[in-house]
Amino acid sequence: MNIFRAGKLAVAATALLGLAGGFVGVSAAAASQPAPPQTTVTGETYVIGTDTTFAPFEYRENGELTGIDMDLIRDIAANQGFTVEIKSLGFDAALQALQSNQVDGVIAGMSITDERELIFDFSDPYFDSGVQMAVAEDNTEITGYADLAGETVVAKRGSEGETFANSIKDEYDFTVKALADSATMYDDVKAGNSVAVFDDYPVLAYGINQNNGLKSVTEKEQGSSYGFAVNKGQNPELLAAFNTGLAELKDSGEYQAILDTYLEQPAPAAASGFFGLLGDSLPALMKGLGLTLLATGLSILIALVLGVLFGFFKVSESRILRGIAGVYVSIFRGTPLLVQAFFFYFGLPQLTGQSIDVLTAGVLTLSLNAGAYMTEIVRGGIQSIDPGQTEAGRSLGLGYVTTMRRVVLPQAVKIMTPSFINQFVMTLKDTSLLAVIGFAELTYQGQQIYAANFRTGETLLIVAALYFIVINLLTMLSNKLDKRFNK
Amino acid sequence: MSASKISVTGLRKSFGSNEVLKGLDVEIAEGEVVCVIGPSGSGKSTFLRCLNKLDELSGGTVIVDGFNVSDKTVNLNEVRQHIGMVFQHFNLFPHMTVLQNIMLAPVELKKQSPADARATALKLLDRVGLADKATARPAQLSGGQKQRVAIARSLAVNPDIMLFDEATSALDPEMVGEVLQVIRDLAAEGMTMVVVTHEMGFAREVADRVIFMADGLIVEEGTPAELFGNPQQARTQDFLSKVL
Ligand SMILES: Nc1ncnc2c1ncn2[C@@H]1O[C@H](COP(=O)(O)OP(=O)(O)O)[C@@H](O)[C@H]1O
Ligand SMILES: [Mg+2]
Repeated sequence: MNIFRAGKLAVAATALLGLAGGFVGVSAAAASQPAPPQTTVTGETYVIGTDTTFAPFEYRENGELTGIDMDLIRDIAANQGFTVEIKSLGFDAALQALQSNQVDGVIAGMSITDERELIFDFSDPYFDSGVQMAVAEDNTEITGYADLAGETVVAKRGSEGETFANSIKDEYDFTVKALADSATMYDDVKAGNSVAVFDDYPVLAYGINQNNGLKSVTEKEQGSSYGFAVNKGQNPELLAAFNTGLAELKDSGEYQAILDTYLEQPAPAAASGFFGLLGDSLPALMKGLGLTLLATGLSILIALVLGVLFGFFKVSESRILRGIAGVYVSIFRGTPLLVQAFFFYFGLPQLTGQSIDVLTAGVLTLSLNAGAYMTEIVRGGIQSIDPGQTEAGRSLGLGYVTTMRRVVLPQAVKIMTPSFINQFVMTLKDTSLLAVIGFAELTYQGQQIYAANFRTGETLLIVAALYFIVINLLTMLSNKLDKRFNK
Repeated sequence: MSASKISVTGLRKSFGSNEVLKGLDVEIAEGEVVCVIGPSGSGKSTFLRCLNKLDELSGGTVIVDGFNVSDKTVNLNEVRQHIGMVFQHFNLFPHMTVLQNIMLAPVELKKQSPADARATALKLLDRVGLADKATARPAQLSGGQKQRVAIARSLAVNPDIMLFDEATSALDPEMVGEVLQVIRDLAAEGMTMVVVTHEMGFAREVADRVIFMADGLIVEEGTPAELFGNPQQARTQDFLSKVL
């Protein structure tokens, strides 16, 4: 499994957190003060973070979280008499959440490494992984490393598979290219861009049994072990209970039964056609679409309020108000939305000690971001009105507010409306970025689906079509309303 | 002439380092019609805009209708209701009908009920010869019609003083007459007026007094007969020789 299963997003987040921590002089370690000792787990409820989709350890089937990790943690909880509340956050996000104590433990097919042991406490290993090589089902030429000469293979970025492939590439004379996730790697092999893939044996075994169009051609290389983690010094009783429960499941044979379910005897999924996939995935995608629209609606409303407020600040005569609005706009236009999302979800809790739910963090990010653009739209709209209009109003004895309300704004709103509609569409599309903090909107649901069924292209096509339909319907509606009210 | 309606002493105005008005002293009596002439850039508009404080003063005192405009604590919204202003480019509100343009201030300022304001507006429209345009939008009017609506709009708050800033300069020649006629009527009714204009014939006809400005100073003033017939200053003579 991936030793450094923390992609560039986590690196960005960690850098940001380090920065934020540095500002106020707290570090991740300081945020994790030892909790009051607790001797028993009985009757307790623990929040467990996990990856969104890392089949066969965790993935969704008919909307339910399932997989080796899920069965294991649930069975251990039942065995030891505690309850778990599982949060499917994504791998990077789950680790960040553990560091900021937003979750009590993480089980996410995570390799036990020296670096991670510096910041987390790990359980006894519960699974031994290893790297295996696979090729396309109809490929009869490549049966071992020796056949790779002059070819290109693919491995997951930052994974054990990549490390292993690089360690033998000179000996066997092949090139290694890195991609971000299993589903796209398998597509790459099927498309013929690479002849073989190096991936974790359990992932590969599961994928092959899901008819991903590949076959494995080598034995597994000895690899790392997976462990359950708690934050350093936190929840020792939970860690102890995990170890005890794991030992008991191994003794009773229940542990082996779980592994067999996913690795040895998976019922081969009947490959359904495009419409089968559409039917299967639509319920989850619709749920995601609902959250996308909810986050968009809330964010746009708040952004509108912010935009009007700061827009007026920007055209006011007070230098202080103009300054405040200027700083606000330059901060939120001058930093990437993704960094803002990480900051509000991971950074803020570390600074304030107050955890924040993903919808709140997402809406906060989007509304503050869109609010900055709205501010500029409002400012531009007001300033585009001939100053003679204000002068005429003021010379009649009307006050500033009345002149704004009756003379300037009615004309400015008409000019601003197309930009408002544009910002609305942008914000709707920007919600897809919240997938990285584990907000279960449309893109996130799509990623989950193709990570489990390996039908990347078709799934993304459906996701894109849903965005396209909704955005165009909403744009048409907005333009109609604009024509109707802004004649 | 009776009591002083506008009293300006030592009025100065600068935009940054550019001094545009360099100390003006003017007294205007009730019912007096004063025309201001002078080359472009001499400060005529700025002078008018200082009278109702659309522009901030840099120095001096301006007392209009008993209000000390140069006093920072004076309620400008109140003062401005006593001073109507007509602009070169009309500045009608394009999103409102003609009637709504005229009714806006009286209703917003709670001077009149909407019904009364409407009746007044219709009367004013009749007076400027546009009774049939009440429901038209500004965009549907000719330049001359627009300016007549703008005058009616200023009159709706029942001002004691009217300021005109080149009210006919943006008009096609055939429309100048209809607007001047409205101003002429107001003069005949005894309205106190300050009229910045390039129409020398009109100034000669309606003005009680003509002021010639150049480079932010009043160079010469007098009755139309004096100023047009026998200008004393070289600058005045030079200017008049070019425009007459
Ligand atoms: N808002 C302003 N900012 C800077 N300079 C101005 C402004 N308004 C007028 N001026 C300057 O003041 C001078 C007088 O302008 P104005 O009063 O409009 O002259 P006039 O109406 O006699 O043509 C001009 O030089 C003009 O450029
Ligand atoms: Mg002028």
